[in-house]
Amino acid sequence: MVKKVKLMSSDINETEVRFISMMLTRLVGEMNATVCEQCGKCASGCPVSRHMEDFNPRRIIAKISLGRMDEVLESKVIWTCTSCMKCMERCPENISPYDVILVLRNLSVRAGLSHPESLDKTIDAVVGSGVTREPVTLRTRAGELHDRGSLGLRSMDRPQDMEEFREALLSILKAGKLR
Amino acid sequence: MKYALYLGCTIQNEQYGCEISARETFPLLGVELVDMEGTSCCGLPAFSSLSTLGWWYLSTRNIAIAERKGLDILALCNGCYESLVQTKHNLDKDPDLQKMINDKLSVEGLEYAGTSQIIHPLSLLHDVIGVETIEEKVERPLKGLKFASHPGCHAIRPSILGMPDHPEHPQKMDALITALGAETMDYPEKTDCCGSMLASAAASTTLTITAEKLKAVESYGFDGLVTTCPFCFQMFDGRQGEINDMIDFLLDTEPDEVELPIFYYTQLLGLALGMKPDRLGLQLNKSPVDRLLGDVEEGLDN
Repeated sequence: MVKKVKLMSSDINETEVRFISMMLTRLVGEMNATVCEQCGKCASGCPVSRHMEDFNPRRIIAKISLGRMDEVLESKVIWTCTSCMKCMERCPENISPYDVILVLRNLSVRAGLSHPESLDKTIDAVVGSGVTREPVTLRTRAGELHDRGSLGLRSMDRPQDMEEFREALLSILKAGKLR
Repeated sequence: MKYALYLGCTIQNEQYGCEISARETFPLLGVELVDMEGTSCCGLPAFSSLSTLGWWYLSTRNIAIAERKGLDILALCNGCYESLVQTKHNLDKDPDLQKMINDKLSVEGLEYAGTSQIIHPLSLLHDVIGVETIEEKVERPLKGLKFASHPGCHAIRPSILGMPDHPEHPQKMDALITALGAETMDYPEKTDCCGSMLASAAASTTLTITAEKLKAVESYGFDGLVTTCPFCFQMFDGRQGEINDMIDFLLDTEPDEVELPIFYYTQLLGLALGMKPDRLGLQLNKSPVDRLLGDVEEGLDN
């Protein structure tokens, strides 16, 4: 059922190929028009579908079932899921649109398609420091400024040897052609 | 009772009220929290979206640090909890994946064996410590106040991972609220998402989803909303002012501004145990909690 995915890089690492095909077989390979009956329980519980016409888990599953995966990948809809998981919880056929969307996001990265810039920034921050963001200074309702120290909190925990942390993480990310 | 405390990024870089109130209250209930050394981001949601293997690697790495201490993990953040539980689930049933990740973990001298369990604050409070024990320790019952419980998506779904509470009818936080002498009740939007994870892709829709839930909770006459999740709290509390600034744009109903006090459960717990608000980080809540704090302090005097 899965076809027409135009991957840009031909030399994807074997580990990643194994991983992606495992995920797709588990989630998408078993899914076709006879499995999903298009009952719409996924979309009726979806907080995003209520507000954004383009995003509809039922329609995403329909397109994947019909082999129109490239269409889904090239639209931006896969990036607007809130990950609330009501869709997978409510599906009478145990299909998980949420997991399908996660696989599609990964696949979209591998195909060189665009994704929200903030996700890249977060990845860079974690590669650089082990954490998404440095602690901020906050203002109380009375106007006093506080940071972790002034509140009596120990400094933010992070990897002890950043070189080793980065080496291991980057080798994983490079396997997925992300960095 | 001893747990490795996994805080993750959001709690440590901005949600100080969550961390302070947890560190203050859990020891009073007989729980020793052990700080983890050398943890990192759990990988959700950036790594899970762009490199699932990177996500599993990061979460496994954090679990491995707790295993080295021989402790189960208390993951305070809903997102981190979900992330660690999902990763553990995947690794425990797939020895090949476990080996692949352990190969990389060895660079830092770490190894995942699957010996540490991961627990959510709701399970620890409700199932391990127990509602009755909490009731017995209450010194200042939060009488006359009615709170909406919002466990947050990643505390209740997906049920296949054995989450802390029922995916459609969660009741544990409700029981924990009434244990403090306060009231609660079910409401239709209880299991609805806060919208947080949409922020990077659709900024104003995120706020509309949050605004709708806040308005609904207010319309049922609740005095405030209670959660354990730092992402949900950040939306309901931290961004309530921003929502009010643009509420006409966000909602179609010509609404009044939202004025809903938002609390971490451990903040309410601390108040009921007789602690001063500043020891629970309540000076940092941005939503209008002062009126309720006044009621609670009065309750103590009477």
